[in-house]
Amino acid sequence: MTDLSDVSSRGVRDDKWIPTSCALCYGSCSILAHRVDDVVVKIEGNPDSAIGKGRLCGKGVSGIMTHYDPNRLTVPLRRTNPKKGLDEDPRWEEIGWEEALDEIAAQLRRIREDDPRKLIVQRTTTVTASRVPMLTFTAAFGTPNLSMAGGGLHCGNGAHLLSGLMHASWSIVPDFEHCNYAIYFGASKGHGAGHASGSNMKLAADARARGMKMVVVDPMCNFAAAKATEWVPLRVGTDGALALAMCHVMVRELGVYDAPYLQAKTNAPYLIGPDKRYVRDAATGKPTVWDLKAGAARPFGDVDAADMALDGEYDVGGVCARPAFALLREHLAKHTPEWGEKITTVPAANIRRLAREFVQEARIGSTIVVDGVTLPYRPVAAIAFRGSQGHMNSVYNFFAIDLLNQLVGAADVVGACLGFNPASNGYPGTGRLAYMPYPDDDGLMIAGTWMGYHKPYPVAEPRLPQKPGLQDFFVMGLNSPYLDSDDREALWDKFELPYRPEAMLNFGANLLMSIGNRESVARGLAEYKFMVSIDLFETETTRFADIVLPDCGHLQTLDSRSNYPFIFSLPGGMGEWCWPIRQPVLPPEGQQRRFQDVLLELSDRLGIRADMNAAYNAAMNLEGPYRLQGDHRYSYEEICDAELKCNFGPERGLEWFKEHGVLKWPKKPEEVYWRPFADVRVPIYWEFLVPVFEKMDAIGAPRGIKLPPEYYEPLPDFLPCLSHCCQKPGFDFYAFYYRDVLHTNSFTLENPWLDEAAQLDPFSYTIAINATTGRKNGLTDGARIWVENEKGRKVAGRVHLTEAIHPEGLGVAACAGHWGDGMPIAKGKGVFFNELLELDWDHSSPINLNLDLCAKVRVTLAEENAK
Amino acid sequence: MRWGMVIDLKRCIACYGCQLSCKAENGTPPGVFFARLLKHEEGQFPTVRQLFLPVLCNHCEEPPCVEVCPTGASFKTEDGIVDIDPDMCVGCRSCMMACPYGNRYFNDKPQHYFPDGPTPYEERRTARHQTDVVMKCNFCRDRLAVGKEPACVANCPAVARYFGDLDDPNSEVSRLIKDRGGFPLHPELGTKPSVYYLPA
Ligand code: SF4
Ligand code: SF4
Ligand code: SF4
Repeated sequence: MTDLSDVSSRGVRDDKWIPTSCALCYGSCSILAHRVDDVVVKIEGNPDSAIGKGRLCGKGVSGIMTHYDPNRLTVPLRRTNPKKGLDEDPRWEEIGWEEALDEIAAQLRRIREDDPRKLIVQRTTTVTASRVPMLTFTAAFGTPNLSMAGGGLHCGNGAHLLSGLMHASWSIVPDFEHCNYAIYFGASKGHGAGHASGSNMKLAADARARGMKMVVVDPMCNFAAAKATEWVPLRVGTDGALALAMCHVMVRELGVYDAPYLQAKTNAPYLIGPDKRYVRDAATGKPTVWDLKAGAARPFGDVDAADMALDGEYDVGGVCARPAFALLREHLAKHTPEWGEKITTVPAANIRRLAREFVQEARIGSTIVVDGVTLPYRPVAAIAFRGSQGHMNSVYNFFAIDLLNQLVGAADVVGACLGFNPASNGYPGTGRLAYMPYPDDDGLMIAGTWMGYHKPYPVAEPRLPQKPGLQDFFVMGLNSPYLDSDDREALWDKFELPYRPEAMLNFGANLLMSIGNRESVARGLAEYKFMVSIDLFETETTRFADIVLPDCGHLQTLDSRSNYPFIFSLPGGMGEWCWPIRQPVLPPEGQQRRFQDVLLELSDRLGIRADMNAAYNAAMNLEGPYRLQGDHRYSYEEICDAELKCNFGPERGLEWFKEHGVLKWPKKPEEVYWRPFADVRVPIYWEFLVPVFEKMDAIGAPRGIKLPPEYYEPLPDFLPCLSHCCQKPGFDFYAFYYRDVLHTNSFTLENPWLDEAAQLDPFSYTIAINATTGRKNGLTDGARIWVENEKGRKVAGRVHLTEAIHPEGLGVAACAGHWGDGMPIAKGKGVFFNELLELDWDHSSPINLNLDLCAKVRVTLAEENAK
Repeated sequence: MRWGMVIDLKRCIACYGCQLSCKAENGTPPGVFFARLLKHEEGQFPTVRQLFLPVLCNHCEEPPCVEVCPTGASFKTEDGIVDIDPDMCVGCRSCMMACPYGNRYFNDKPQHYFPDGPTPYEERRTARHQTDVVMKCNFCRDRLAVGKEPACVANCPAVARYFGDLDDPNSEVSRLIKDRGGFPLHPELGTKPSVYYLPA
């Protein structure tokens, strides 16, 4: 009965545990795949790795069933039905790779000769490994248009902008090892989702066992809130108002904040003129501060931080100047807890108490010794992610929350809010992979490393857009709704976009489900003259493709950097630097091919191999003998080998990593708690927004684009979503969605083990509504209901009445509700929340383009209940 | 020697890792979960608590299931594990009726997850389970035999599960139960479970 005897009776040829990486979510935990006679019989965590430390979530161990899913694509397909639409059958015919690649190359060559920008490249965020290959192909082809579909648009535009600007990293997390008081706003880090998901579950549990107090601000009490010391339910999308009210209490009522930190590490002392701009030194052009000792305005670099005024009003050459902090103090006057209560529904007394607890626990001024190094100690952290930033007020919500950290100096010091690994001294063997945040001319922080080519700061110059997503105009944006929105054509006209997208190369993204309502996205998709989709399954989106290419899964593919950059999915805090790879455990099935190879092959056919090599050199920072040369046709193995050897020396190439799986070295306190060691300041006053707005308005206004200036003020405020302004009778609920611990985006719904568990979970596939409100509305647990937005779009599902949700909230888990036949296990499971999202100008943040992810809805009993 | 498990409800985050790593280890058919996660809500808005309870066979010291088994297929090992010899099981399901915790499953027919047929993984791991017999958690005896912890323990990402000798007062599990007030489920039934919980 044991596996071993079972195996030996068949005669074992091969029995191996192979170190590689999970790809069921972007956490990319290190795994060991147990392969017996060409069959993977188990996936376990790799205890040698710092990423997951040998333990996996339910998704990771279930990867076997994704791999062996008989519904995986195995042959290239060509569409024979020229019509594209939600109800159109593509009428696939199987074709050979040669034919498929010939046709793709011919189409792409035509587009490239015409205008390479007409190609939109798109990738899923689930597979982090797709970033570099897709980025290099995009660069080599010559299109600026690389999109992450719903991935970035829903969760990243605010979170990564703010984390980058204020913490030089992709995301933020409490320093679990030392933090004593964490307040989460719509985040679940440490509770089964997010970056470094696997590792954070243990770190958060350790913190809980140690006694860290955790307050979770969330419309729903699940995951993080369920484990919290205190759940603070609030009205959906009002997180920023709560944070502002807490700032009000800290600054104006308690008068407690970390003045030395604000003086030395932020632009709080910078003098601001009546034009909202820095008062600059005439000779050097540097921002000035008021030197209390000298009684004069001087460039910030010439003054001891302790002598910088944070308050007051000064006459600087006839100009009335005030430190940014004084303006913040004044600005916060209106954000009283009573004001906050009206917006958030959180009682004013609670807001005061939370603020008091936060500053008390911050231990302002204290230090602690870690590994022999004396460091500032601020054991509190305010953490935000997808929930709080997924609104019109995306930027200010996150900004206001991070101000809590900045006011008490709880930023990248011991116990505080940490960016994920913003500073690295590099791999000791070669000195490679070293990076550190550094200042611009104004002293403000530039991230040491980043995920894309363009860092969140300094902010780019807005221009008449050359990208259909308009991000070169909306320079604070990352991902854009305007590739798919209803009004995209009108906007492109207004902005005189010199071309129109014509082709899409899609890797794994199911944008019909991941962005907004499917009718809007489908309309946009159908307009592409040519679409290629490289995918594991025939998703709803892939059914719009002209050619479909079957990809290899996570157990069949290769990636030299499954967890790099370190700012993405390596756990923050002390511990180890860790570089794992992903390697093939099983061969392709049928005609599956790795997308990385396909892109190299296409680049050869297009004659852009030299550009591709150059782009790989840039993206991987390949140096010296490891630089890819000319248009030499390297295999993907050779490229991975070059990156590994370049980083870790000639002995540690692909072969070494295939055998060992990971390379680790210890983190130093100066790396993890880098803030005191870097001469950088972060902006508590976003002066740069003033010129950004002026420039945008100068471009937009003559073209009839009216930008709301209130989104571009240097200090954060609460700006409502459309849902907060809805007065329509009967529309009583704020609908929102959240990540389910069992599912990653729309992908894992097809995994039968995860689907089975989700069917048994009370929340995964249902619509959560407050029990009291639900009963008042005549709902009974389990009833089938319609949820309808103001525009009449609606979705159906079973209601789950629960006490664990705000009375005005309506919560839906995951990106569920597949309708296509290509993923039959997933079909019809759960609720397709995104159908309730409108995709247009009015529902997109006018500063960072984040889509508004809440909707005011009406709930009605479905017909069958009436019977 | 008496193997036992301690599950720390303060650390558990309801990630389903135990339920699914058990499935991956044992290749259990659809509908069969040797390890399961239960969710329960207590209180009223806004003072509500969500309670997560991972459950599995309690490997009771006084197992009612073993007592009722007419063939001796259900048995208890010397180190306290309750297991079933499928060759002796006649599928009468008396034990399922007797188990007050609902931790036994009947494997009525060969099953697999995709309608298309068993995957190569299932051919390896699921097909070896005999049909027409009762099946249950056996504390991963095969893993114990090669010095590994049970799958659900080794895998739990929140490190909420501990395994060891309840007879040894100095073992980690014994100390956790003592220090943190560990409790079994339904002690009033007198089954003396070997699975303990630490308060949330
Ligand atoms: S957290 Fe993500 S990467 Fe880690 S095991 Fe789970 S699905 Fe895989
Ligand atoms: S694996 Fe651990 S944390 Fe996850 S549900 Fe099971 S006991 Fe809880
Ligand atoms: S001990 Fe083994 S068989 Fe029992 S629940 Fe855990 S993983 Fe499953």
